[in-house]
Amino acid sequence: MRVVNTKMKQASSFMLVAALAAAVAGCGGNGNQKEEANSSTNASGTETKQNGNASDQPKLTNLKYWVANHSAASAQMKTYAEMEMYKELEKRTGVKVEFQHPPLDPQQAKEQFNLMIASNELPDVIETYWTDGYPGGPEKAIEDGKIMKLNDLIDQYAPNLKKLLEEHPDWKKQITTDSGTIYSFPFLRGDDKVRVFFGPALRQDWLDKLGLSVPTTVDEWYAVLKAFKEKDPNGNGKADEIPFYIDKDLLNVDAPFLGAWGINYNFYQDGGTVKYGPIQPEYKEFLTTMNKWYKEGLLDQDFAAPNAKLFDNKMTTNLLGSSVLYNGGGIAKYTNLMKDADPSFKLTAAPYPVLKAGDTPIWGQKDFAYTGIGAAITTSNENPAETVKWLDYAYGQEGEMLFNYGLEGVSYKMENGKAVLMPELLNPPGGVSVQQSIAKYTRSTWSAPYVLSDNFQMQYLVLPEQKKALEVWSQPTVERKMPLVTPTQEESGKFASVMTDIQTYRDEMLLKFIMGAEPIENFDKYVKKIQSMGIEDAIQIQQAALERFNKR
Amino acid sequence: MQQLRTIRTDWKRNWAAYVMALPVIAYYILFHYGPMYGLQIAFKDFSLAKGIGASAWIGFEHFKDFFGGIYFWRLIRNTLLLNLYELLFGFPAAIILALLLNEIRAVLFKRFVQTISYLPHFISLVVVAGMMVDFLGRTGLVNQLIGVFGIEPIDFLKEEGWFRFLYVSSGIWQGIGWGSIIYLAAMATIDPTLYEAARMDGASRWKQMLHVTLPGIAPTIVILFILNMGNLLTVGSEKVLLLYNPLTYETADVISTYVYRKGIMEASYDFTAAVGLFNSVVSFVLIVSANSVIKRLSENKLW
Repeated sequence: MRVVNTKMKQASSFMLVAALAAAVAGCGGNGNQKEEANSSTNASGTETKQNGNASDQPKLTNLKYWVANHSAASAQMKTYAEMEMYKELEKRTGVKVEFQHPPLDPQQAKEQFNLMIASNELPDVIETYWTDGYPGGPEKAIEDGKIMKLNDLIDQYAPNLKKLLEEHPDWKKQITTDSGTIYSFPFLRGDDKVRVFFGPALRQDWLDKLGLSVPTTVDEWYAVLKAFKEKDPNGNGKADEIPFYIDKDLLNVDAPFLGAWGINYNFYQDGGTVKYGPIQPEYKEFLTTMNKWYKEGLLDQDFAAPNAKLFDNKMTTNLLGSSVLYNGGGIAKYTNLMKDADPSFKLTAAPYPVLKAGDTPIWGQKDFAYTGIGAAITTSNENPAETVKWLDYAYGQEGEMLFNYGLEGVSYKMENGKAVLMPELLNPPGGVSVQQSIAKYTRSTWSAPYVLSDNFQMQYLVLPEQKKALEVWSQPTVERKMPLVTPTQEESGKFASVMTDIQTYRDEMLLKFIMGAEPIENFDKYVKKIQSMGIEDAIQIQQAALERFNKR
Repeated sequence: MQQLRTIRTDWKRNWAAYVMALPVIAYYILFHYGPMYGLQIAFKDFSLAKGIGASAWIGFEHFKDFFGGIYFWRLIRNTLLLNLYELLFGFPAAIILALLLNEIRAVLFKRFVQTISYLPHFISLVVVAGMMVDFLGRTGLVNQLIGVFGIEPIDFLKEEGWFRFLYVSSGIWQGIGWGSIIYLAAMATIDPTLYEAARMDGASRWKQMLHVTLPGIAPTIVILFILNMGNLLTVGSEKVLLLYNPLTYETADVISTYVYRKGIMEASYDFTAAVGLFNSVVSFVLIVSANSVIKRLSENKLW
């Protein structure tokens, strides 16, 4: 049996290789397919021009649409097709959409995406994080013959999006690649107010109990956390409080806390020059501080292995004092969850900490209008022109209402020419979050290919704490944030292979330095090692990409 | 002419066997030899758009990248050590269990122990890993137990020093019973007259085991050992993937998990094909040399 067992093992590993190779082999004919796809778009393009009649296009009735599901929606529906907004869209356009969702876990979703891309069977529409998600970026996706260049199609069949892009040249600049290609129907955040939704937060009721005020500098934070640890703010007589939680994923979102030192956890620009945060001398100071917090029990012992369920648990059992939270998915979520169990539970947003009192924070989360999420049309799509029309609907007036607010009379009503969300959506019964109750109708609390309006967003921020958070978190200048740059074809392979190894090493060493497994004295060695891994090349690639972006 | 006739008579006599072998042959051609066509991308700058055939040749670039990469030695070391420990502790464990079981006279008890010992084999790896994460966590069962003796809690899965021990010992727990079955089967084929003769000569139970049972199952042991040698560089990635985290990469990151991260997550299929090819070549060399060494030392061999 042992023989069988080992053989099975061998067989399964062979099978894996075989499957991979077969998947790769399947792409053999791709070059042709791409040409065909291109020529067919061209053909249809010229055809319509000649006839001047778009109704010659066969009618679109079915679409396969790949997009990641969201936890707020997946809790109540199998696919987006059950969402009220898409049911209504089907009624209005006559297009039946079959949604394909990868697993919620981001790692597994990425795995499924990459395997799908390597195969020949693509859905008609893929909505994803194109700048980050496709290995090599959106230009490469077009080069690989996976998705279509949309410039001409948008020109001809997408009047709504076209008009928007003409009105907002900065949006156009962000969704276009260096070579002028538009590759997706973008998710756009219309106004500044909808671009800030993440930042430091802590327990207001704990602060009140201990007679402390909201900290603004790193030193003040230290004092507050120390008090959380020692003065038993949860009042159970045990020193079981976990004053603070942060992990590498949170750091990666525009560098909360790390930003106090003026750097981030990735590439940033300093007066037009690209730098890499984790090799700056300031990073060493950050690590020293975090190491101190860890040693004194201020930083959660579990920060090395992020676990969302565990985090929820610590928050709702009165153990966790502070962290970096999303406005809707954090502050509102926990406040609603604790509404009945502990009415005194109150979270408050704190400004992004700085080193010297009175300084304006440089780093803080603030997205650009476009974050890289968009719906692209694949080369497997047999009716791109009609698909473009279908996608364009969301950018027109009717579509905007549908995508932002759902159904009139059901999820919103018009008052003085403004859409107002129904009160039952914003005050759901206990145990249901506002995000979940809205998710029944629309995707506007996370993302979709449309323009998110701030009229929606300001209503979504139901609690006064949330409105305050928006204000507090909007202070940072964000002057060092990199725009959404894309490497060129030739650079992308090199960049990816250099950065995979560096990021693995960076993440590993972050944990080791903070936990003290690696003495901080070895910081210089760590920097040398990253340099020997080729960070300079990667910085140059980013620098060139930044310059190309600025020239767009 | 003569040969042709032999083939013909052979076919007439054995055609049914050949037909029955067809699916197996087809399987090997389809899934094992066919995909070897794709191996060429290990030497190419593979592009999805151009496909396997048309991508440009770049020689040994990917191999150079891999051998020169900073993780190369760590990956080799971890892969080899995990397997070596499994071979050193896991391989004999099954033999010892089989020998012990063989000595049990109470049939019911023997059956009972056997069943219990190979039950874990049927638990899915994901569940085993989940159990380990639960039991070995900071507030898990194990830490509560050792806490009784005043030992500070240890985060077993987050300390690189523990990884190999946990990986190998859990592997033994899961595989020992299942692995012993083949040895028990081999023992059943030993001619009982040998034991009788040994007893006549005054051999004790211990001596009988040493001089009858062990030599009796030696061919099985040797063949399994050779097969295991071939696997020295292949660790099943699933279990490592489920148990490791950046804190334990130092001892846990193996070739297959690296290939997963680099190949599937970053979509560098050409680079990972090169790593995979390297892995297969080394395994092949290991298996051949193990076989020839053993052939020289004894009559047992795989081929």
